[in-house]
Amino acid sequence: MDQYSILGRIGEGAHGIVFKAKNIETGETVALKKVALRKLEDGIPNQALREIKALQEIEDNQYVVKLKDVFPHGTGFVLVFEYMLSDLSEVIRNSQRPLTESHVKGYMMMLLKGVAFCHENSIMHRDLKPANLLISSTGHLKIADFGLARLFNNDGERLYSHQVATRWYRAPELLYGARKYDEGVDLWAVGCIFGELLNNSPLFPGENDIEQLCCVLRVLGTPNQRTWPEITELPDYNKIKFKENPAIPLEEIVPDTSPQAVNLLKKFLVYPSKQRISAKRALLHPYFFSDPLPAHHFELPIPQRGARHSRQRVQPPVEFSVDLPLSESLVDPALLRRHASAF
Amino acid sequence: MFYNSSQKKCWTFENEDTLEKLRYEANQKYRNKMLASGKPTVNSLFLDAHEEDVLFRHYEKRLLDFCNAFKPVMPKSVVGTAIMYFRRFYLNNSLMEYHPRTIMLTCAYLSCKVDEFNVSSTQFVGNLVQENASGQERALEQILEYELLLIQQLNFHLVVHNPYRPMEGLLIDLKTRYPLLENPESLRKSADDFLTRASLTDIGLLFPPSQIAMTAIMNSASRAGLSMESYLTECLGLKDNKETLSKMYDAMRRIKSLMKRYELPKPDEVNACKVKLERIHAEFCTNTNMKRKRGYEDDDHVAKEPRMTEEEWTDEDLELDDL
Repeated sequence: MDQYSILGRIGEGAHGIVFKAKNIETGETVALKKVALRKLEDGIPNQALREIKALQEIEDNQYVVKLKDVFPHGTGFVLVFEYMLSDLSEVIRNSQRPLTESHVKGYMMMLLKGVAFCHENSIMHRDLKPANLLISSTGHLKIADFGLARLFNNDGERLYSHQVATRWYRAPELLYGARKYDEGVDLWAVGCIFGELLNNSPLFPGENDIEQLCCVLRVLGTPNQRTWPEITELPDYNKIKFKENPAIPLEEIVPDTSPQAVNLLKKFLVYPSKQRISAKRALLHPYFFSDPLPAHHFELPIPQRGARHSRQRVQPPVEFSVDLPLSESLVDPALLRRHASAF
Repeated sequence: MFYNSSQKKCWTFENEDTLEKLRYEANQKYRNKMLASGKPTVNSLFLDAHEEDVLFRHYEKRLLDFCNAFKPVMPKSVVGTAIMYFRRFYLNNSLMEYHPRTIMLTCAYLSCKVDEFNVSSTQFVGNLVQENASGQERALEQILEYELLLIQQLNFHLVVHNPYRPMEGLLIDLKTRYPLLENPESLRKSADDFLTRASLTDIGLLFPPSQIAMTAIMNSASRAGLSMESYLTECLGLKDNKETLSKMYDAMRRIKSLMKRYELPKPDEVNACKVKLERIHAEFCTNTNMKRKRGYEDDDHVAKEPRMTEEEWTDEDLELDDL
């Protein structure tokens, strides 16, 4: 811990506080996620273990946030991540007008590359949503928060929990209580995020689990054995019946969108998980090869330092003194990186 | 994938000598620490490397027995991971410093969590059937106290690649591509036993899981009087790759010889070492705190105690929450 000087607080995760800090030796800015262990009757929380597990075993990837180090501290331990300026939910919230098609393509391409990498490494994230897609000061998107991630075996008979994923991005099989599912849950979430980028508002903003299902059914139509053969095997299938309802063409849900975008979106938002397009194949969709081409990460809007960021910023020392520790008078390299990379 | 795993990078070692050396150093480190602490002591009081090994094997076997008797049934990979944690932990630590009785349970507990075998903490210690409720509670306290130390000593490398999955893969491959073998399933039983016994040796710290699995299958076949040489040469295409083939044979030979060398420690030897270990822990346990002092007593004496009638844990009592 002596290696880092705390610069501010970034936020609070499920299992502790996240700090922005500087590595004193290298000057690198990092995010420190503290996991405290006091008064936990089951010891180290599963979420922390999953995160370590998933991130320790994969090689570096440009589109997955890097776990730089783990070290014990006090009664718990600290996860050290690369520092990221913002996240996609802020980008969506802060953009004055909908993102341009080229921007959406740029974000989608990075998201899909990250998801493809995770799936190739047998990791399903299970909680993809804009807030977990971090944006760097250079416009890069990286997948973060592997607290719900699991390694999957394709032949696995083990049951998984269905209480995963934030509601708006939760796949329909999870809403029906599925305990056996696959990486398709991530692909559903990718579809939801895609729709949200196109519309600048969430696609299925359910207020509770039942309403969530209603939102999905209203758009995709009430599922039946023809559109979704596996539905009868899902635990909650018989618990709730919805009245017959035809699907609404997606063109009406995401208006003013290019036909290719709608075509790709349709391939994610399908009931049977196995029929959802894989991240790898989606990257080959004509959408990404037609005009306007995906924006380069330099062209993407660099998130405004919103309220959240100004609060955490440490004021530079006004007075310089020879007795002042050097670390306090140094300029935060993150402040410069943005400007440096613009040239 | 094993090939970019922390297991391959950090926990697969060149040869047995490297492992011996690490254990010897851990033993020395503890001695020096105690001698430096200024407490009056003599060298003969400490366990030597051989005695540590005797106790290690004893507690490792107990860990295996505990896991095998666990209810609900513990998947093999969870058991394998627990034992591997135990081996990795004592590669760099002395049994004199951390009592194996607690560490073995902590390994099993962590393995359950990491491998997503979801049992609650009460359900876990409910499996200490010789303990009464308060004994179980104390055991849990100790487990939770040592959990952080354990994952730290594992260098936060939590994923263990066991040979069970590669063995399934080999069986499938045999069934689909090697018609010379009539009934590959018949190899399973003895190959499974082989893998369990292998887990109680250093094999997992020296060889990739796929080679261990292959040796298990080949060994099982040769015991049944079947030759599978053409599987290696033809199906795996090693006929024209003499170098890989000879490396493969060499690895199998080494694995088998490590297996042969393994034996359970003799009971009287174990008892003599235990006496020494308990004395060391009583005298030197520097990081004792109140919790540990009233920690549950030695395993053997617990069984002798009359079993408490009040609040005895049975499986029915345990809630199946957290599932």
